[in-house]
Amino acid sequence: MSEYQLLLQRYDPEHDNEPRQQRFTVQGEHTTSVLDALLYVQQQLDPTLGLRWSCRMAICGSCGIMVNGIPKLGCKTFLRDYHAEILIEPLAHFAVEKDLIVDMTQFLAHLSAVKPYLINDYSGTQPHKQTPAQLAKYQQFSNCINCGLCYSACPQFGLNPEFLGPAAITLAQRYNLDSRDNGKAARMPQLNAKNGAWGCTFVGFCSDVCPKQLDPAAAVNQAKVESAKDFIISMFKP
Amino acid sequence: MSSPKRSDEPIWWALFSAGGVCFAVFLPGLILALGLLWPLGLLNSAWLQHDKILTLLQSGYGVTGLAFAAAVICLPLFHAAHRIHHGLHDLKFGFSQASKLLCYGLALLLSLLALVLVVAV
Amino acid sequence: MSTPVSARKPYQPKLGRSWWLKHNYYRLYMLREATVLPLLFFLGCLLYGLYCLTQGAAHWQSFQLFMQQGWVIALNLLAFAASLFHAKTFFALFPRVMPLAPAWLMISGQWLATLLVAAGLLLLFGGWL
Ligand code: SF4
Ligand code: FES
Repeated sequence: MSEYQLLLQRYDPEHDNEPRQQRFTVQGEHTTSVLDALLYVQQQLDPTLGLRWSCRMAICGSCGIMVNGIPKLGCKTFLRDYHAEILIEPLAHFAVEKDLIVDMTQFLAHLSAVKPYLINDYSGTQPHKQTPAQLAKYQQFSNCINCGLCYSACPQFGLNPEFLGPAAITLAQRYNLDSRDNGKAARMPQLNAKNGAWGCTFVGFCSDVCPKQLDPAAAVNQAKVESAKDFIISMFKP
Repeated sequence: MSSPKRSDEPIWWALFSAGGVCFAVFLPGLILALGLLWPLGLLNSAWLQHDKILTLLQSGYGVTGLAFAAAVICLPLFHAAHRIHHGLHDLKFGFSQASKLLCYGLALLLSLLALVLVVAV
Repeated sequence: MSTPVSARKPYQPKLGRSWWLKHNYYRLYMLREATVLPLLFFLGCLLYGLYCLTQGAAHWQSFQLFMQQGWVIALNLLAFAASLFHAKTFFALFPRVMPLAPAWLMISGQWLATLLVAAGLLLLFGGWL
């Protein structure tokens, strides 16, 4: 057991005009995650602490927070990897509702803007088959858990919340690369816009923080190549 | 929902990328040779004499000179213009249209100057 | 009956101009973007050199004198370092944007090209060609 100081950013919309910090002391052993520590604070020290979580196994994507300034999943980050004092804030660039809870509305709107579902006129009752090679084309980009860490790592989203952002553009690529999908033409207008793929300057930090190793920065820049091809094709169309 | 306007970034991004390749592949050697070793007196072949350089640039009916200017001046200029334009946005000096006009306009002017100069030698 | 009042009051943080100073990753990003500044200086030297070429042999001499000044050499040393840092970052990004071959192969291939160009220029201007 070691002792850790959690420096939590608190914000109570009913009383505060801006966030403040509060210090809590917690005990941690080898397997104590930051989420465990936060739940200990909530259950034993201050029941008013607001935070989101669900699965505790890095799959639901709801426990995103900033740990020492870096976007992390609370359940996949362990006290043992930090020194005595740990700064915990809500995900950067998003509006804070309360304490560690942020408003994801814009993020979800960006995700749905790219039509993230199969678009085709396949109506058969047989399984829509795919070869392993066809699967491999998009599989890496299909593992997103919509945690939003990449948006907190992206200064372009911080500077311009209209930018579609890493996860949404990766999702568009995921469907555009799927052999069962015919919806690329419907998705390209979003990617072709200045707030689409072109809002990115390849900072690349999104790929570093992604807990599922999707490499969203690569997906966004591959989308630039696709958009550039689409640009050339459009010049030859009336 | 109406779709957003198509951006003209593909043009600037293509120039930026081509310029980035030139900057990475041609410029290290060129800066080493012309910017460091030659001024320090460590390189002095006849090829660095005035008349020899002229022959070099005019070889192949002047295509060598034009290719030289394009690869080590014009494209790198557009590469730099792109990064400065986006860098200004990063630093929140984002008068986007004005900075775009200024950055790419200057790159275009200086590129034309370079091409005129190699034709004139 | 009055309509319930929402207790929502979201706090929207603003990204300041100095955001890139806050994290090492962002500082390296800005450094990468800033490599074009010393590059611009060297491009200016090249343009001046071309101008001197058009003016005859005497002017070419004065261009050489210009390039020999300490501050010009210092800035060009910076430009040389910047070009190498740019190459390192650019070569690493390329296989991610266009995954045409294994990343290590594409990266070493690009360095080989840079090396060959440098060797060719040094052979030519060193008088071995
Ligand atoms: S791309 Fe990665 S970081 Fe971004 S939302 Fe998906 S899983 Fe999270
Ligand atoms: S609690 Fe589900 S991802 Fe962390």
